Amino acid sequence: MTPEAARLPLTVIGGYLGAGKTTLLNRLLANPDGQRIAVLVNDFGEIDIDGRLLNSTTDNVLRLANGCICCSVADNFAETLETVRGFADRIDRVVVEVSGVGQPHKVAQWGHSPGFSPDGIVVLVDPLSILSRATDPYIGDTVISQVTRADLVVISRTDIANVDELEATEAWLDNVTDATVLRGPLPTAVLLGPVSRPLGVDYCPPSKEPTPGSGTAEPQHADHVTLSRRLDGPISRPSIETWTRARPSGVIRAKGLIRVDDRPNDRTVLQICGSSTMVSVDGPWDDGEDAVVAIALPGTPRAALVKWLNLLG
Amino acid sequence: MPSGSAIAVRHGRFLAVGEVDELADVYGGTVDYTLADKVLLPGFVEAHSHKDTGGIWQFTYVGFEARRGPNGRLWRGCTTFDAVIDRLREADRLLDDPDEPLLAWGLDPIFWPGERFDRRQLDAVSTTRRIFVAHSNMHLATVNSALMEQEGIGPDTVAEGVPKDDSGLPTGELQEFPAMALAGQTFRSFFGRTQSDESVLMFGQAARNVGVTTVADLGTSNLLDEAVIRQWIGLADETFPMRTAMFHGALMSAPDGDEACAAAMVDLRRRSTDRVRFGNVKLLMDGSIQGGTARLRWPGYLHGGPNGIWLIAPEQVAERISPYHRAGLLVHTHANGDQAVDALLDAFDQVQTANPLPDHRHTIQHCQMTTPGQYRRMKALGMCANVFSNHTWFWGDQHRTITVGPDRAARMNAARTALDIGVPLSMHSDSPVTPLGPLHVAWAAVNRQTPKGEIMGEHERITVAEAMHAVTMGAAWQLRMDDAIGSITPQKFADCTVLEADPFEVDPLELRDIPVWGTMSGGVLHEGSPQTDA
Repeated sequence: MTPEAARLPLTVIGGYLGAGKTTLLNRLLANPDGQRIAVLVNDFGEIDIDGRLLNSTTDNVLRLANGCICCSVADNFAETLETVRGFADRIDRVVVEVSGVGQPHKVAQWGHSPGFSPDGIVVLVDPLSILSRATDPYIGDTVISQVTRADLVVISRTDIANVDELEATEAWLDNVTDATVLRGPLPTAVLLGPVSRPLGVDYCPPSKEPTPGSGTAEPQHADHVTLSRRLDGPISRPSIETWTRARPSGVIRAKGLIRVDDRPNDRTVLQICGSSTMVSVDGPWDDGEDAVVAIALPGTPRAALVKWLNLLG
Repeated sequence: MPSGSAIAVRHGRFLAVGEVDELADVYGGTVDYTLADKVLLPGFVEAHSHKDTGGIWQFTYVGFEARRGPNGRLWRGCTTFDAVIDRLREADRLLDDPDEPLLAWGLDPIFWPGERFDRRQLDAVSTTRRIFVAHSNMHLATVNSALMEQEGIGPDTVAEGVPKDDSGLPTGELQEFPAMALAGQTFRSFFGRTQSDESVLMFGQAARNVGVTTVADLGTSNLLDEAVIRQWIGLADETFPMRTAMFHGALMSAPDGDEACAAAMVDLRRRSTDRVRFGNVKLLMDGSIQGGTARLRWPGYLHGGPNGIWLIAPEQVAERISPYHRAGLLVHTHANGDQAVDALLDAFDQVQTANPLPDHRHTIQHCQMTTPGQYRRMKALGMCANVFSNHTWFWGDQHRTITVGPDRAARMNAARTALDIGVPLSMHSDSPVTPLGPLHVAWAAVNRQTPKGEIMGEHERITVAEAMHAVTMGAAWQLRMDDAIGSITPQKFADCTVLEADPFEVDPLELRDIPVWGTMSGGVLHEGSPQTDA
């Protein structure tokens, strides 16, 4: 990997004990939706991998037949990231599990390490226990702080919780956090968003309706709306800010590779995860790759998304 | 206090204690008068320190308080910005290779409120050499422009721990580990070099210089790593001046779960030698009080900051401890705040109820805000306390005015309460957090004086005799080594602290000033490094 190669998006997954982190990580490894994901866990013991899928194992790296890898986070996180960087040309993104009492927004700071870019703080919430935990004298402030600093909160165990519990959880979350709140489970491509470069979208002139996602880089999901658009020509920095603020409420994830007029020689990466937007520079500009992809909740009006995507430029 | 004028030593162990003629008559041998005018005490035991106590001195010290390195060199305190700059310039001159980074430690801007120490001061030292200055708490660093250019830290760096100045440039301060790690190779050399053989040997020198004959290394070494195990067993031969109780840091290093880790530690325990003891684990509940990360009971921090952080979920503590407890391993757990102690005691209550072990000696480390009620629970559960007495000196004034206020500060590190309730007591330095040195720790517990001259809770003072017991037998008991060390008793290892004056004779306010000659370890004399003032 050359120093100019794209940075690996790094997403952190947090949430208190029982919030479903292990279930989610096992699902990501089993169904990565075509993405090659490096999953960083505290304890291999929690990872449930079919032996037939296992390609090789070293002391702290498991390599799977589907291209994913799983690393245990040793006591030295910087060292673990160095190990992951060694796989940079063979993986698309990194997902880091945060311990149940960990502070996801602090772990997310590692996303600024050389070779990586922060790609969202996802916090899982168990609707059966969150309300009692939020008032627990030992850990109430911890669980509140976790959801407060999240970009995307995903409510788990939606198959077990009843409607009252789900609605009470949503009402509580609405009070304590600005994060986007969704009911899980979410398909991998929706939860983590589009990843690879190029984004693999078909050309779509700004005046016409964008095409649905190509199905190559980001698999289709019947319920969620995926739209993409190719850009043409540099974009002004203020217009990026205006555009991200104008996004329709159903947008969960978006990613753009943009040429910004004040940095025409650099590749600017725009990432939206729930409530947050991250803009970073990750290398020199390559012609012809500027595009944006957005993924929205089921039921989000297509016309609103089209209108929004066409605003950029 | 029983005493004598001579000890007889054979095969590295105490043979007898008494008078010179009597011992010579009965046991023969040669009489060595090297220590004729010295005071011998049982070897001091530091029950909470870390491996980088020695290795940190490979780097340039720029702290506020004067300290002495393992080689005996006095490093004067850098009490002004200019003193820091001068110290760094001198270090820069001594480095031949222009590509070698200048690494320094101990910076504490808390002593210069309102002023800013940033890249500009460091750029005045060098515009070409990378400079990395770790702060005294090891959670922050300040670096120069040359380092930032080489590592690509600039206006585009968007990270919480990289503050920018008005011109949009990073100030040079890197806050917390994710940001410090942006310093790349320089960061790795700083935190990697303290793991070297040389670093271990310097730890031994540092111990000898302050009269310490046994240390506990609390979770600084990964004991699942065969190379680390061999390093310690190999280096700690009969010429090495100290014994070490090694604690595996199980909080972060149990990749295959606690049951597997416990089994590995039971196996490792069999490889213990006279000089290196295995079979111990360390866990952590919370952070530090001065860092605002310890878990406090109501009413929380005086400064109004949020309550601290949990490093283990309270409801998981019992299940994490249980495998080690059931395996008969010794568990020492870091808990600074009183709420952290509550959760820990709840867990030990469960663990002891499920698998009662009459003589476990599990210990709470730091115990800084532990209340009388909590000490009574500790007594009932058979637990020991290792209190952080040095805090009254190093952060006492800050605790009185910033972190918890004067009333709770007066009750911190409650050694008197622990002893009155009957909880086995030791006291520690947590070096290199505060300097290694049991005489200073004892001085702090006996006097409880702050730098501003306040007495921080006169009612929690202990006597010199109690303090001396705590840093010898008290610590040996908690390490399950009281059968081998902690007192001058026939059959135990012949380990002594050798002093120039008797702690029981001097003014208690001068305890910390008693010169240390060195140590005897297994009957071998180890004179301290000659003290130099340069």
